[in-house]
Amino acid sequence: MDNRATQTFQDDCLELLRQQTEGRRVNRRAFLSTLAALGVSPALFRLTPAHAQAKEIVVVNWGGDAVTAMTAAWAVPFNKNAGFKAVIDGSGPSSAKIKAMVDSGKVTWDVVDRNLIAALELGRQNLLEKIDYSIVDKSKVRPEHAGEWGLGSYIYSNVLAYQTDAFGGRTPKTWADFYNTKDFPGKRTMRKHIDGQLETALLADGVAPDKLYPLDVKRALDKIKSIKKDVIFWATGAESQQVFRDREVVMGSVFNTRALVAKRESNGKVDFHYNQASAWVGAWLTPRGNPAGKEVFKFMAATQDPASQVELFKLLGNGPVNPAAAAMVPADMKTLDPGSPENYAMQIPADPEWYAANSATVLNQYLEAIS
Amino acid sequence: MTADMDAQTRRVYLVLLLAPLVVLAFVYLYPLSRVLWLSVTVPTPGFGNYERLLTSSAIQGVIWTTVRICVLTTMLALVIGYAIAYAAVHLRGWRGELLLFFVLLSFWLSVLIRAFAWLTLLQSRGVINTWLMDFGLIDAPLALIRNEFGVVLGMVHYMIPYAALPLFANMRGIDPRLVPAARGLGAGPVQSFLKVYLPMSLPGLISAGILTFIFSLGFYVTPALLGGGKTLMISEYIAVQINDTLNWGLGSMLATTLLLSIFALLAVMSIFVDLRKVFGVK
Repeated sequence: MDNRATQTFQDDCLELLRQQTEGRRVNRRAFLSTLAALGVSPALFRLTPAHAQAKEIVVVNWGGDAVTAMTAAWAVPFNKNAGFKAVIDGSGPSSAKIKAMVDSGKVTWDVVDRNLIAALELGRQNLLEKIDYSIVDKSKVRPEHAGEWGLGSYIYSNVLAYQTDAFGGRTPKTWADFYNTKDFPGKRTMRKHIDGQLETALLADGVAPDKLYPLDVKRALDKIKSIKKDVIFWATGAESQQVFRDREVVMGSVFNTRALVAKRESNGKVDFHYNQASAWVGAWLTPRGNPAGKEVFKFMAATQDPASQVELFKLLGNGPVNPAAAAMVPADMKTLDPGSPENYAMQIPADPEWYAANSATVLNQYLEAIS
Repeated sequence: MTADMDAQTRRVYLVLLLAPLVVLAFVYLYPLSRVLWLSVTVPTPGFGNYERLLTSSAIQGVIWTTVRICVLTTMLALVIGYAIAYAAVHLRGWRGELLLFFVLLSFWLSVLIRAFAWLTLLQSRGVINTWLMDFGLIDAPLALIRNEFGVVLGMVHYMIPYAALPLFANMRGIDPRLVPAARGLGAGPVQSFLKVYLPMSLPGLISAGILTFIFSLGFYVTPALLGGGKTLMISEYIAVQINDTLNWGLGSMLATTLLLSIFALLAVMSIFVDLRKVFGVK
């Protein structure tokens, strides 16, 4: 949160969970008892240095309550059987840190919580181990989520959320409606980052979903500029939720996790759907020369268990990446799951290749266009 | 004998001074120079990054926005700060002190709290808009925030103490009998202010102006929160280059440019005012 310009989806999840925990939506006691069963306190977890002890798999995510959530959903069940114990560490596995670690030859991390774009960027610089698909089960993820250096771990989406009472009974169904300020007047909110945003403009402009990538940047930016005066740009997930809460906006292009919380806290006055949404995937990566060696793939394989992914969905809102998990999602949460077959089919998966090649340049162009 | 003592005392002072200087050089100047070094070495050695100051419309846009907002902020903060300082100097007894107390009070509030307070007051369903609509003065909420107006408002609010306090210090040193003397010699109120008081407070205005402008250049949180994402100032742009696009050469080039511009500004100003006085060394 101290860095507003670069809040990642993972950062935002933590913040969201923290709020919910304080609001007692997530059962903190369940967390604590799980941790007590493990013989450690959450505070201890956070202070544990990232040195891999003997027979340990150090799993690094973005800290805070995702440490407890991933511990409960993944590390605790894994540690019941395996010889190696998984330890979740919240140091924040940024690309710069991974590069520094591998370059210096002192690798202390085994698995990191990133995405498929980072997998390509780092993998091509020879900083990652390849995923061993003889241990990890390729059939438990969709083909696009089984990368050479990264394995899909959960799904999140950039969705269209809206105030249900803002348009006299009608609701925006497509991005074309989002960009139609005549029939759907009022302010919108979009992310102050390109991830999933240019896609909205191109879909609204009539580009076919299967022709989306490579993105036509100029066309997308022109379209966004055409409604710029009606757009408030959000930098943090909390901000995107706040503008809905304050009714500053009538609709927005936001994370599904935030849309879900907005829907709950407004008793359904805010709603969202997965039609034309941009589907993103978190991914496990392994720094080259990691201390636990091939054992990490056993941990990755364990996280493919659908029940554990449903558990994480309940705790963090991150959708299960294993298509088989959809059936285990509780009935009242099925329509909210970004990874369910029905919802996933409506969405367009973001193309990691395009983002790995263009992200830096296009982000600057985007910032120029919106400011 | 005394000359020896002096030399010895001076040596002691020098040694005492050396310790903090070494610490400062090690933990501050060295890392800073490393960062600045990046601007001429990454991605390729040379001045390629600096060339972009002249060729990139995006960077020029960010710099122009920054300068425009900072100049506007400085001018408004000076006008309001001048009025406050003038009142604080001329009010009798506790009233002046109370006024200064309120200036200091806002000085102590965190920049985040102030930004959120403005949001609460000024958003479309905020206190001000609701009130105006309830009284039928407006039909639709005014766009008071999440635009450049909001950014300038938030920054001026933050900067008023920085403008008012140096002006107050300066005005306290102005002989209060001079304006009555000018009036007694036949000058009108406006004339005696413009010809007598204003020139005497000019050093205060200049130092307050420098302080305010330099502080404004580095604003990050206020534009990000109150600008609705559409007001991109240089600090935020640098942060994006360092953290997001990993374009460290470009980010450090902009940081270097910002630093050098401030030094240049101070150098120019030092022709007109005694900088040691501005920063309270003298």
